[in-house]
This record gives sequence, structure tokens and C-alpha cells, in this order.
Amino acid sequence: MKKIKSIFVIAAVALILVASAFMQQAKITVKGSDTMVILAQKWAEVYMKKNPSANIQVTGGGSGVGITALINGTTDICNASRPMKQAEIEKLKGRYNTLGVEIPCARDGVTIFLNEANKVSELSLKQLSDIYQGKTKNWKEVGGADAEIRLYGRENSSGTYTYFHDEVVIGDYAATVQSLPGTAAVVNAVKKDVNGIGYGGAAYAVGVKHAKVKKDNGSTAYDATAETIGKGVYPITRFLYMYLRNRPTGETKKYIDWILGPEGQSIVTEIGYFPVK
Amino acid sequence: MKKLLVIIIFAAISIYGYSQKQTIDSLKEALENHEGKLSALDDRVLVNESDLSKLNKIKVTGYIQSQWESYGADLEKTNGYNNTFYIRRARVKFTYEATDGVKFVLQPDFSTGNLVLKDAYVVANIPKLKAWTLWMGQMNRPDYEVEYSSSSREVLERSRYTTTIYPGEREIGAKLEYNGIKIPLLFQLMVMNGDFTGTQAKDVDSRKDIMARAVYSIKMPNQGIGIDLGPDLYYGGNLAKVNKYVKNSDGTLDSLNNVWRYLNKNWYGGEIRIYADVLGGTSLKAEYMSGINSVASTTTGTRAQQIASPNLYNNFTGYYIYLIKNIGPKNQAVVRYDYYDPNNKLAGDAAGNSIYYKTWTLAWQYYLNDWIRITLNYIMPKNEINALNPTDKKDNVFTVRLQAKF
Repeated sequence: MKKIKSIFVIAAVALILVASAFMQQAKITVKGSDTMVILAQKWAEVYMKKNPSANIQVTGGGSGVGITALINGTTDICNASRPMKQAEIEKLKGRYNTLGVEIPCARDGVTIFLNEANKVSELSLKQLSDIYQGKTKNWKEVGGADAEIRLYGRENSSGTYTYFHDEVVIGDYAATVQSLPGTAAVVNAVKKDVNGIGYGGAAYAVGVKHAKVKKDNGSTAYDATAETIGKGVYPITRFLYMYLRNRPTGETKKYIDWILGPEGQSIVTEIGYFPVK
Repeated sequence: MKKLLVIIIFAAISIYGYSQKQTIDSLKEALENHEGKLSALDDRVLVNESDLSKLNKIKVTGYIQSQWESYGADLEKTNGYNNTFYIRRARVKFTYEATDGVKFVLQPDFSTGNLVLKDAYVVANIPKLKAWTLWMGQMNRPDYEVEYSSSSREVLERSRYTTTIYPGEREIGAKLEYNGIKIPLLFQLMVMNGDFTGTQAKDVDSRKDIMARAVYSIKMPNQGIGIDLGPDLYYGGNLAKVNKYVKNSDGTLDSLNNVWRYLNKNWYGGEIRIYADVLGGTSLKAEYMSGINSVASTTTGTRAQQIASPNLYNNFTGYYIYLIKNIGPKNQAVVRYDYYDPNNKLAGDAAGNSIYYKTWTLAWQYYLNDWIRITLNYIMPKNEINALNPTDKKDNVFTVRLQAKF
């Protein structure tokens, strides 16, 4: 009985090992952040033109969706506009016995969108926190017109939603925040709403006014530019990340090295974000 | 003629104007009707959104583990069969997030002939202290191998010492947990009944037991290495209710002056896990626990009967070491060695039936996808040999398990 069991076990092991050895990665899948999706698509498009044998598939869905896909093995690279949470790293440890690999690939200044007709031009972090917690409800309280503030934001699978909550709002989002699927939708909503306010990646801030942001009432207010982000003075600066389960090898490594190189980083600037260094 | 023409033209204009007014009026009416319908639809959507947001707060997850087992000869003699199909676990977990920071969890186990409540607890975030949570109810004891879900564990069963000192895995009590956001520290402090074996609803004595655990995580991302380590403590006791005789670890028999005395359960230990991104993921996991354990006797009757089955007060040692290797994204090879000695002061014949066990477990996992997993598992216990246990029992078990998670 013991012999039969041993043979069975060894045969099963050998079969699976041999099968694994012959498996070649057919394509690179990239999934996650909606903030990064335009950037990721541009990277993939330019890289595949230069490397016709490469096959890279990019989808959005939000940082949370990307991280879940990384953990359940349905994506090779996860794009995220926020760092992975400890609970997510624990799941990665449990399933793959690694910490995962975090690769900052660009920087972003989370921009505050206002309608072009809005008188307000700058806000402090505290004012933004109070607005998004619903404590400040009228624009006149922050130097604007006497009108109700209408809040636009992202869904909770969004890395931008989580980052903005953890770094700016701190407390609970107001129940009146309208959740929208993607930064483009937030920009669109604010464009059409004189009393609207939204937040999102700098690359999407077209057709709306950007509020300058200051650390507190006594500080200088800054716009999100390459200079202010490079100097670290823009208060809501973040890294944009790629996450992998293991250290990259083969075609994936070549692609990531290219993204972090001069060509990939020039695309970052072209799209409207800021190079990682 | 001219007059007639003017009249006809005038009449035509009036008729045209009237019909235009009718068209505009009917358009206005149609528009108002549609506005009303849209407004009603809007109300219905709001109601549906509200209902959906309540339903979204309920999460239902679970897993089924069905397997085929084959036994060594001595187990065959005990069981009366040498192989069987078996539903090891069939669990459904209901989680309801009542409001931000408050969660209810209910988890029954539906395996054949064995409907049991596994988890029933509330978790609440302490206001303004995001990293701190308070738990209350029936939940896992704070120990790594206990808390690590059976649906994720790399071998089919927990180590012998874990299942012996933590029967049923769960306890009824209250736990304070700190899970650092900026500091990579997990701290757990649990106060519990301390005698839970899986079915009793209330405590069996007045003393509450305490468990404490701390785990600090170190990351070396450039080297692809992560280390979690920390101490574990248990402080509690069992009440000798009916029998005043106590057999100590060194085999001597003591007599308590009277019953209703507490026998200590004081354990100390630690845990370490090392993760390395070496040719895919690799991890080494180990835990150690030692100390004084007590078992309360339920034997009444004559003095001789009580002496024959006294309370037990033993120094024990238990530990395990896992080596886990991921091979590609779908395969995993596992080796575990675990050791349990219920009385580390006595060996050989003096140990009687309190013999140690050294157990090797080999396992191979294949993940079809994130929900379906096949495991081949071979467990080889080796027991201490003495006069009462003259041979190593033929109690190896080979198992093939299919697990489906949802």
C-alpha cells in the first residue's frame, strides 16, 4: 500500500513539474488603477510597436480590483494609485509566500477640480477635509458664493478614493458624496456643476479649474506642477505603483525596465503625470 | 371675389394656427407625462439603490472540503475500514457590516452529522483609534496556526500540539487587537472562558484565561525577504472540582487539601515566519510553545478510583516547522515537521501513555484557479516507544482533497 502511494505521489509531482516547465507566458496582463489606465495603455501601445512579439493587455477597474486580481492570479502586473494595505500583503504572503514587489513608476499630484465659474481658487487640507466630511456645506464658508457644495468622488475600489481618504479627509466621507466610476467622470460632473468639487489624478484635469492646495492657512498654496511635485511642496503628492507577485523576469522585466527608463518616463510626462525621479 | 379670397386665407390661417396650438399643447402634455414618469423612475431607482446598499453590506463566503482518505493498518483496526470518502468541512460564513467599523460574523460548519457553530462574534473599531478593534463572542484563539484558515492552510490539518492544547480552535471571550497602520505590529490580548472544547455554551469555572500575542513584521524589499516574529503567552487555569489528587509532571502524586482548587495553565512561546522571493515564493514558518498544562479530572467514586484517574499537571513542549515552496503560480510543495510531548519530564516507560509524537507531513497543492484546489497530503506520525507502546503505530494517512471556495 505504501509503495503504491509513494509511486502515485511521485508520478503526480513529476507530471505537474514537467507541465509547469513547458508553460510559457503568452502575454502580459496589466490590471487596476483607473488613474493609471491611460498611461498604462500608452506604455503598452508604444512598447508593442517597438517590440512586435510582445503582447500586453491593459484594463482598469480600480486599484482595489487590480490588487484582488494580483492576489487571485488573474493579472501579472497590478497598477495601483495607492500603496497595498497590510491585509492585502498578508493575503499575498499566504497564497504566494512572498511580500510582493512594489515598483513606483510615476508621481501624481492629486488635483482638486472646481468649476471654472467658481470664485474659490485655493483650499487648505483642513478645508478639504471638512468639505468632504460634510462639515463645511456652503461655498461661502471658504470664500465662495452662497451656494451648497456638491461633492463628487470615486468608488471605494479606487486607489484615489482610499489615498484621498487616508491623506486628506481622514474621517468618514460625507454620505452626500456622489461616487463616480473614474476620474474622467468626476471631471465631467464638475464641469457641468458650478457648485461641484472633485478630486483625481492630474492628467485628467482638463476643462476644469484646479484649486491650489495649501498645508494650512498660514502656508503658501501650490498648484500641482512638475516643479512643486519635484520639490515636494504640493501637499497631495503620491506615487503611482506597479505591483507584482514575484520579482520580474523575462519579458515582464524587459517591459518594466523600459517603463522606468527614459522612454517610458517621457510618456509619463506626455500623459500629464510626473516622472518617478 | 377678393373678399372671398381674404376670408378663405383668413380661415386657413386660423385653422393652421389652431392646429399648431393643439400640436404644442399635446406636446406639452406629452412632455409633462414623461417628466412625471422620469421622476417616478428616479424615486424607484433611489429606493432600489438604498436596498442594494443594504444588501451589499452582507457578504457570504464559504468552502467545501471533500476528500478520500487511506489509513495505515493500526488505524484500520481501530476504524474497521482502511479508506473512506469524507466531507471534512462545509462552512458558510456570513459577514454583515452594520456600519463603518462594526461587523458581525456568523460561521456554522455543516459537515456530515456535525452541524456546529464555529464563529459568532462582533468586531468594532474603537472610535478615533483606527488600528484598534474590540471583538466579542466565539472566535479563534489568538495563535497563528489556529487563526490561519483551513481553506488557506498548506497542509490539511493543524499540527498535533495545536489541536491538543487548543481543542476546537475557538474560545468564547473578548479580544482587543491592535493592527498597526504605520507600525508593522500586530498585538492581540484575549480574555476568555478557557475551557472551550467546541460545544459548551458557558464557562465551567469562575477563572478567566488570558492569551497575549505580538507579531512584528520586518521587510527587506531589495532582498525580497520578509520576517514576522513575536512572543506568545497563555495564562490561565483549570478547576479541580471533584478529585483532589494531582499527578505531577515528574510522575509523583500530590493531594490537594480539598477540591475547588485551580491548577495552572501557564504557557510561553514564540513564532517566526520568513518569506523569501527565491525562484518564486518560499517560506519557512515555525512556532514553539511550552509550559505547564493541566487537565481536570471528572472521576469521583472511591479514593482508589480517583487516584487511578487524577488531575494532570504536566510540563509539555510542542513545536512545528513548515517549509513551503511555490512552483509557478499554480503549484505548491510543502513539508512540515511537528513535535508534541505532553510530558517533557518523563521519557520511556516512565512516560506511560504520555508519549511524544514526531510527525512528518508532505503535501502538494494544485490551484486550478483561485476557487478550486486539489491537495495530496501524506502524514507520517512516529510515536515514542515504551512498555505501554512497544511499536511505532501504523497510523500514516494519505489524503486526496478537493476544495471549492466561494
